[in-house]
Amino acid sequence: MPLLEIRNLVVRYGEIEALRGVTIAVEQGQVVTLLGANGAGKSTTLRAISGLAKPTSGDIMFDGHSIAGLGPEAIVRLGISHVPEGRRVFPGLTVKENIMLGASNRKVSASQISREADAMFDLFPDIRSFSNVLGWTLSGGQLQMVAVARGLMAKPRLLLLDEPSLGLAPVIVQAVFRIISQIRKDTTVLLVEQNARMGLSVADHGFVLETGRIVLGGKPDELWGNEAIAAAYLGGHAKTHA
Amino acid sequence: MDLVLQLLFTGIGIGAVYALVALGFVLIFRATNVVNFAQGEFSMVAAYLMVVCVELGLPYWLSFVIALAGMALLGVIFNLGVYYPLRHRTYLPVIIATIGASILLSNSVLAIYGPQPQVLQGWFDTPGIQLGPVYLDSQYLLIIGVTIFLVLFNFWFFEKTLLGKKLQATSQDKEMASLLGISVSTMIMITFIYSAVLGGLAGILVAPVLFVSIQMGSTIALKAFAATIIGGFGDVAGAIVGGLALGVIETFGAAYISVPYKDGFAFLVLIAFLVFRPQGIFGERVAEKA
Repeated sequence: MPLLEIRNLVVRYGEIEALRGVTIAVEQGQVVTLLGANGAGKSTTLRAISGLAKPTSGDIMFDGHSIAGLGPEAIVRLGISHVPEGRRVFPGLTVKENIMLGASNRKVSASQISREADAMFDLFPDIRSFSNVLGWTLSGGQLQMVAVARGLMAKPRLLLLDEPSLGLAPVIVQAVFRIISQIRKDTTVLLVEQNARMGLSVADHGFVLETGRIVLGGKPDELWGNEAIAAAYLGGHAKTHA
Repeated sequence: MDLVLQLLFTGIGIGAVYALVALGFVLIFRATNVVNFAQGEFSMVAAYLMVVCVELGLPYWLSFVIALAGMALLGVIFNLGVYYPLRHRTYLPVIIATIGASILLSNSVLAIYGPQPQVLQGWFDTPGIQLGPVYLDSQYLLIIGVTIFLVLFNFWFFEKTLLGKKLQATSQDKEMASLLGISVSTMIMITFIYSAVLGGLAGILVAPVLFVSIQMGSTIALKAFAATIIGGFGDVAGAIVGGLALGVIETFGAAYISVPYKDGFAFLVLIAFLVFRPQGIFGERVAEKA
């Protein structure tokens, strides 16, 4: 049984149908990457999973139970942590406070959370020295590190990562993806990326979304191998990769 | 010089009341992005609750506890009845609802108690103490003491506790807070309870100095609102400093310029700030809203 199974998911924002029957499965222990252009419905898919967007129809099964229609607070308690687009680090709180609040879905003492947050800096050594710095002063790469660290504090069984590379310098993107490949040892990851090359480099499986529908799915090699589709959806990187 | 010290003491005392109400304004504004126009009525209702309990013959301290418990309950009802049903709307319907609630509260009290002002005795039997040249009124001492305690409590609560951090996170980004498993509706409920109790405390403390009347709420709230603008709208420290500054300014204005225009000085200062420094003393921390 897949850890996450989405069947025929439809999400409407008023008149606009953002998702028009999306079906994907994420197996335990996998990294699955959702690719697609701007507006294809990648973020909406993640928002529906984490409860920020209400499904119009279709179902979302997590660990064998339907979570469609539950609120975000309930869903994160079940073990799905969503690191949304734009990082959304609380600007008026310090880095450590931001990371500590990531454990709000669990019933643990404040001192325990503080210890766990300190331990989190082992995975993110670049932000350790910014521990007591307010969120709004950080750079994009630092914000992304904080956002992922905060997401991991939920001890998720499934981590949803929305465009972690967006707006980052290439060297920072590589650092972020190194962290993703470390995370995958313990956590199942559903990754949304526009950067197909980076997104597929860490993936076990990939899906391509186009205007609210899955048009292609398969192992990264198969996706790269499909010349026409690689050129159309994965950009010019296809040829250089081959 | 003696007179200056005396006026400073009185000014800080009355300013502390404005500061408490202003703090309530700011906390609700930060949590909900809405100015609660019923904040002053919280003070008025608490003062009347106090009058009722004391008239029933209850001990002063017990009346105090009951009045504050009543305010906590009012905070809950206010949140559920006024804010919660409109929480997904824009700020305008919510603001109008708070204005409606303030009219409802003052007219309910008017219907029950009539228009004649009530008198509430102070907490202490001793009217005050003479400290060198300055006469320290016991009620003003109490007001200043309670305000100092609350400012320290407020700092500890928001800066040192995890719950305080969750409240801050909720006021900065509700959607993200909910993604982390923070119960946004609980955080807003706590904010309303806390603000209602703060407003209530201000009303109870100032009641023996003023009369207890239907209008006391709107008078205090107007000054407190001016204080939040002078201090820097949305800023906790600004609300406290603005409140104290306003109390001192109007006391000195009344003593040295004109007693009948006492209430006018607050608004004169407000207008001066709106013209020359609209962001207030502490400025708006724009970065926090990014």
